Amino acid sequence: MNEWARRVILVAIAVPWVGIPLWMLLVNSAKPYTEASRLGLDLPDQWNLVENYSRVMAEGNYAVALANSLLIAVPTLACVIVLGSMAAWAFARSRRVSMKVAYNLSVLSVLLPPAILPTIYELQVLGIDGTRLGYFLVMVGTRLGVVVFLATGFIRTMPPDLEEAAAIDGASRPQIYRLIIMPGLLPVLLVGGVILIITIWNEFLFALFLLRGAGAATLPLALYRFSSTSSEFTAMRWELIFAHVVLTSLPLIVVYLFVQKRLVSGLSEGAIKG
Amino acid sequence: MTGATRTATRRWWHFAAPALALTIGFFLIPFLLNVYFAFTDWTGFTAAIAPNGLDNFIGLAEAGILGNAIRVTVFYAVIAMILQNAVSLGLALLLQRTTAFNSWLRTLFFIPVLISPLAAGYIWGALLSPVGPLNQAIGLVVPGFDFAWLGSGGSALVSVAFIDVWKWSGLVTLVYIAGLNAIPPSLIEAAMIDGASAWQRFWRVKFRLLAPAFTFSVVVTFLGALNAFDIVQATTRGGPGAATTVLNIAMFRQYTGGFFGSASALSLVITILVVGIGIPLIAFLRRREVEA
Repeated sequence: MNEWARRVILVAIAVPWVGIPLWMLLVNSAKPYTEASRLGLDLPDQWNLVENYSRVMAEGNYAVALANSLLIAVPTLACVIVLGSMAAWAFARSRRVSMKVAYNLSVLSVLLPPAILPTIYELQVLGIDGTRLGYFLVMVGTRLGVVVFLATGFIRTMPPDLEEAAAIDGASRPQIYRLIIMPGLLPVLLVGGVILIITIWNEFLFALFLLRGAGAATLPLALYRFSSTSSEFTAMRWELIFAHVVLTSLPLIVVYLFVQKRLVSGLSEGAIKG
Repeated sequence: MTGATRTATRRWWHFAAPALALTIGFFLIPFLLNVYFAFTDWTGFTAAIAPNGLDNFIGLAEAGILGNAIRVTVFYAVIAMILQNAVSLGLALLLQRTTAFNSWLRTLFFIPVLISPLAAGYIWGALLSPVGPLNQAIGLVVPGFDFAWLGSGGSALVSVAFIDVWKWSGLVTLVYIAGLNAIPPSLIEAAMIDGASAWQRFWRVKFRLLAPAFTFSVVVTFLGALNAFDIVQATTRGGPGAATTVLNIAMFRQYTGGFFGSASALSLVITILVVGIGIPLIAFLRRREVEA
């Protein structure tokens, strides 16, 4: 195919696929109610940007939800990456049957969907249902499997010579883990970490069941509650929903702008393989 | 066993134990409990939980919930999987070579991946609304066009499945680009020298050698779609009627009604679908990889 024809086709796809949805989102988030309810793609006749966004900040539980999202997502990611890769090293190097069984149990969560109702039951028994701690523990427990699966496969392809040499030189297991295994796993952990942070940050189903009260809400939950009250009692307040969507999506998109080169090239060079 | 190897084994357990304990505690135990709760009369009204055999499943089937939810979920997953892989493979073929222009577009197509499924649902709820931009564009050709894409039984399910495709295609495209770039260029050149047309080069060479990426993408998109919830809740909430009531939506309704046993039963149905369709699908696609 001619290079110019290819470029024209791609732009013709990208404009309606990504351009128009994002444009509609941004311009309508800056319009007053009656203008936004027409969902036009034109610029606002009357700019209502500051009013809409400050109203979302005030009524949309945004600041609390942002803090909760950070408070849950960052420790979840750290625990999943560190504990998952530690276990993966043990599973990849130990030849004991009990370890093989443990590995197989650990990776079941890659395929099987987690069960919500019994999770609530268990958290009630533990006295932490509805809390951020309970939600955090469930996020870690249901997502470790992916890291264990990816990292175990990766370590099995790494020759053990380096670890053995370090052990002979007197390095302890934790030292070997920190100085050899962790750095060696970096490519797969980077890509796995990105996919995990996207899914944890945007997680909604478990948050809806497991987090109680506005004080514990994460960003997707705050967006849902804000939009539900707006659509149930009046017509859809698109300008406010859109402003909340922009604010909710912004943190991840800002981070993405910093890492996009590395991330996109890393993924398209095949860091994830089945 | 010598003392040294015994110590070594114990040290391996130190490394595996935290991850294993958290997985067992917060994934496996609830998962196993669900198999039990699905066959109990657990509700939000009494504290006692007693086995009630197949009553939950029979009740859900008689209310017309179970059969409909299974049909809707499988249909949703099949549409999402087919559209997802067709769109992403097409984009990957167009974006395969690593040039500045392509890198820029790959970055652009990845933006929907970052947006939460819930937010994607609200964005497309507006785009597809009767007065929304899609109908405005169609209205330029067909004046007064105001079809409710998400409000009509026939189109609602396809529309929500499409939103799922929109949300994830940027990532699946990158998986296919990786697969395409792993094909040795000499094979494509050999096919060209042998006089293969562009279509033959794609279908007989590239597509066969893409088998591992194809397996991964088909399985991930299909199993992911069986667990659909966010996009449906943000757009149709299961309607119109029960046209988009996927299993998780039906489960959420049973839960909010206080029927926890029935909600567990619907969760178990998702698990059965994942195992019953997912494992044969993986086995079939893996065998195909070997043959190709």
